[in-house]
Amino acid sequence: MEFIAFVIAIAIANQALKGYKLSKEKTLLYLNLSFVLIGAGLLVDGLSSLIVFLTGARRGFLYPFAVGYTIYFLAQVVAYGLLVYAYIHQARSVAGPTLVAATPLLFFARNAFTELILIFLLAYIATQTGINYSINKSTNSMLVFAAFVCLSIAHVFFLIFTVAPIFYPFAHIAQLCGFLLLLAMLLRVNRPR
Amino acid sequence: MMPEKQTETKPTAKYRSQFRIYVDIMSVIQRESNEAKPTRILYGANLSHDRLVKYLEELKALGVIQETGTDDKIYSLTQKGIEFMNNFRRVESFASAFGFRI
Repeated sequence: MEFIAFVIAIAIANQALKGYKLSKEKTLLYLNLSFVLIGAGLLVDGLSSLIVFLTGARRGFLYPFAVGYTIYFLAQVVAYGLLVYAYIHQARSVAGPTLVAATPLLFFARNAFTELILIFLLAYIATQTGINYSINKSTNSMLVFAAFVCLSIAHVFFLIFTVAPIFYPFAHIAQLCGFLLLLAMLLRVNRPR
Repeated sequence: MMPEKQTETKPTAKYRSQFRIYVDIMSVIQRESNEAKPTRILYGANLSHDRLVKYLEELKALGVIQETGTDDKIYSLTQKGIEFMNNFRRVESFASAFGFRI
């Protein structure tokens, strides 16, 4: 599932880069960087999970999993932080540095602290995209709003997963749904007119 | 989307980038069935005469619009201009989906 989400994230990043090259609009550059980071994080997390899966989760191979998750988490925090910054930047509000520097902490597994940070950032983005949808009422805006709602729900499930492992597959399904909704928006934008 | 007046004394007027002005001019031409007189562009894109002449020259140099007619000048989009506008519409639609204005 991570690999499908990775491909979609890179496709979104590519579209944002095309837009930036055409218009030189900085918010599109932030969007591009954000989805590149999300994609990279998903790829690293997917690969590290695959290594652990293929090696049967032997003790020595759990280290790549920890490194993979840490990279994934940091990439997502920076990526969603960039998106939050882009919305703040556009709103011409006080745009102080919202990103935290990479810390030397190593997160061995999904934990409530990391997930809460991501939920907070995603909730902000989902609210912004929801406001955008309420203003322009377009299908594409609705798809982006629904995508970020799904991604927020995914991380809520990842949070619950730390106490109830049964939620792990639901979290991945919600995450995949989010990226599929973004793919649907991308296909609609690029359909022949 | 477009500022009502672009005077320095009106602080609420939104700054339009050169790119946005190019797009506004080309949108007016496209809206006029790809044949627009300078007066229509001037009002449609909300520009002064001097600035309009300057931007039309720049767009001609970029090869996205062409001028026809001798007494009554008519401006139309070239194939390159039409492709540019199609790409712009896609990008605008994409950015708008996220709530970003370009």
